[in-house]
Amino acid sequence: MEYAVEMHGITRIYPENNLRANDAVDLTLRKGEILCLAGENGAGKTTLMKILYGLERPDEGDIRVMGKPVVIGSPLDANRLGIGMVHQHFMLVDDFTVAQNVVMGVEPTLYGGLYNINEAEKKVAKVVSDHHFSVDVKKKVKSLTVGQKQQAEIMKMLYRDVDILILDEPTAVLTEQETEALFVTLRELARLGKSLILITHKLNEIKAISHRVAIMRQGKLIGTYNTAEVDELEISRLMMGQSVTLHVDRVDTGLDAKPVIRFENVSVLRRGQQRPLLDKVTFSANSGEILGFAGVGGNGLGVLEAVLGGFVPVTSGKIYHNEVETTNCGTANLRNDGLAYVPADRIEVGSAVAASVAENLIVDARSSFTRHGVMNRKKIEAHAQKLLEKYSVKGTPGMSIGTLSGGNIQKVILAREIEQYKDYIVLSEPTWGLDIASSQYVYERMAELRGAGAAVILISSNLDEILAVADRIIIFYRGAIVAMLAGNEALGASKEELGAYMLGLKRQEAIHD
Amino acid sequence: MQFLLPILHSSVTIMTPLLLAAMGGLFTELSGMLNIALEGLLLMGAFCGIIFTYFTGSMVLGVLLGILCTMLLSAILAAVTLNLRSNVFITGLATNLFASGLTVVLSFKLFGNKGVVVFDSIPSLPVLRIPALAQIPVFGDIFIGHSAFIYLSWLLLAVCYVVLYKTPFGFRLRAAGLHQKALSSLGMDPNRYRFIAFLISGFTCGLGGALLTLNLGAFVPNITAGKGWIALVVIFLGNKKPLGLLIAAVVFGFADAFSNYAQGALNVPADFILAIPYVFTLLAMLGFSIYSKSKDSFES
Repeated sequence: MEYAVEMHGITRIYPENNLRANDAVDLTLRKGEILCLAGENGAGKTTLMKILYGLERPDEGDIRVMGKPVVIGSPLDANRLGIGMVHQHFMLVDDFTVAQNVVMGVEPTLYGGLYNINEAEKKVAKVVSDHHFSVDVKKKVKSLTVGQKQQAEIMKMLYRDVDILILDEPTAVLTEQETEALFVTLRELARLGKSLILITHKLNEIKAISHRVAIMRQGKLIGTYNTAEVDELEISRLMMGQSVTLHVDRVDTGLDAKPVIRFENVSVLRRGQQRPLLDKVTFSANSGEILGFAGVGGNGLGVLEAVLGGFVPVTSGKIYHNEVETTNCGTANLRNDGLAYVPADRIEVGSAVAASVAENLIVDARSSFTRHGVMNRKKIEAHAQKLLEKYSVKGTPGMSIGTLSGGNIQKVILAREIEQYKDYIVLSEPTWGLDIASSQYVYERMAELRGAGAAVILISSNLDEILAVADRIIIFYRGAIVAMLAGNEALGASKEELGAYMLGLKRQEAIHD
Repeated sequence: MQFLLPILHSSVTIMTPLLLAAMGGLFTELSGMLNIALEGLLLMGAFCGIIFTYFTGSMVLGVLLGILCTMLLSAILAAVTLNLRSNVFITGLATNLFASGLTVVLSFKLFGNKGVVVFDSIPSLPVLRIPALAQIPVFGDIFIGHSAFIYLSWLLLAVCYVVLYKTPFGFRLRAAGLHQKALSSLGMDPNRYRFIAFLISGFTCGLGGALLTLNLGAFVPNITAGKGWIALVVIFLGNKKPLGLLIAAVVFGFADAFSNYAQGALNVPADFILAIPYVFTLLAMLGFSIYSKSKDSFES
């Protein structure tokens, strides 16, 4: 069997947080095949492909292309070796035409220097007709549809005559028809002898397009399988992994549950898009429970988080806090009203990385630390010191928070938010990137809050976490609730069952609350 | 109408340094860098252009050496901004302060004078009479009888257009400003194009500055008097297009020439009259931002 690419023992460690993004990964790509690289968010798929495209260097391991050992130091090296990559976010200049974008860097010239635009358009038009694309090469990119932009990206690589094409989540922004058209193109490319790698986590697409599927989890390659020999449930089980035994004691709080946060038919629409980001979402988060939200990325969990945090206005529907309407009242009012919120992005949203730990701890309560309008430094530091001890954070009040480890940053944010909390708290991906001990710490705090009668809203793509700590589980697919599991249903649910709901393979007949 | 002709004629002379500085600034602007150092670069060109002409006795050599010095300053600015990753606003400001201090210090060191230095011995700018221009009806008189450098700068505007819109270099430079990842994902370094853009700024400001002093036959401290800043305004008013730059520069040149004329002709305090070009700049920017805002709201 001839291989287009052989990657052997690839390890990449990010020094900032000592994260093993890739851990001794072996990957092979056969000539003329379509290989899907599958895994959950953060499994290391994109890092591996960036290494193959010369955007990152591996710490260990070697790469062979067409049988020859190579060092790929830059995208130019990769192009020279016949490797091209289509990025998840379009790398296109909106104000240039399709042809100008495609030929950038290898422009045909006239009289030894002038840009030969006619020649460029002719050559790109040939790529269009050779591959049955539907793009006018003289059109500016900004007037194209998303599907056509994607075609332009692929044309960029075909124009450079690549034999190996990497596509990073190419269907993330496409409609179903556009996806179908893309797949026709990709199959045609494979038939012409090109080798393709698709990064994806959509099971139906893996089944529809690939010859083989390589599955990654937490930086490691779990295995490479012939797609025909594994079914979707098996792939999902391999992607998610075996259950790690996380344990949170479930205690009977003895309080009468009452709804703290209630959503009534909440929808979020984005201009120019037909499919709603949130589709008539109705639920209530009750006192004394942990309500878990699960779903695959891009199915509405991020939007739900933004709505709860007050960053995104809802288009229709109503939101109540203790039966008082708080729809679209803005983050500041929500915070005054008692919103405690641990965001998924703890670096960009959750903290100000350049500011000190002490400053990060008081951002929300500045006025209580001032005297005659001037910040009282001693009081702030004492407050910070007290919280650092209470939440066992390794660090000092004066350190800038960015120098702490991920787990300690999260503890600082938790400390601030729990101090701010009144009767509910929203946690999104609270243990992402944390080690077991820090994760356990987070779970214990969540359980404590529940014991104190709080409504704890947990948004997480980590199914182990949801299954281990949530009292009720709500599952999102395409912005809508497809299942709501409570009581014994939630306790006895398996990952396969949740996976089936999350991937749209299954849907609860009548969703009850 | 007879009084208008000398005003128009001198506005051509006045607008040329402005146009040159704006042309260089257009390259940096399109590459994605706000180049506020045009003022300092222009001043550097003004000083170096005339002293090298004085020392070498040759205007061509003097202007070339002046341009070289200005490009050196812009190269330092570019290196600190791009390679050492300093904030472009701070480095630009530093360049302006540096140029303003350095020219005065050197002027004192070389000529023992911190004020106006007059160079009697240097040749005056060579005046060209291009017969074809004289044939243009009505406007012919405005365009003839300027120095060779002014015609050269018009030629440079055409070159500027060709480079930006008709060469691969121009496309990549503009791509650096529009979507730098589009460029870097194809293995090209956006900063390389920005560096070259800074050098081009140095070149045009070196030439433009030299025209200021050589036209006068003297160096006056801070002779640029905000022309580099107005050049920035010209770039935005000109909608970041070479032809737009020309139109905007003509308008500002006229405002300046008119204020020069009015000082002698109108019975208004000189302070008010000298403020005309600056007040005009303010009004133009105000009008432009109102216009583009209304256009934005119309589009959305």
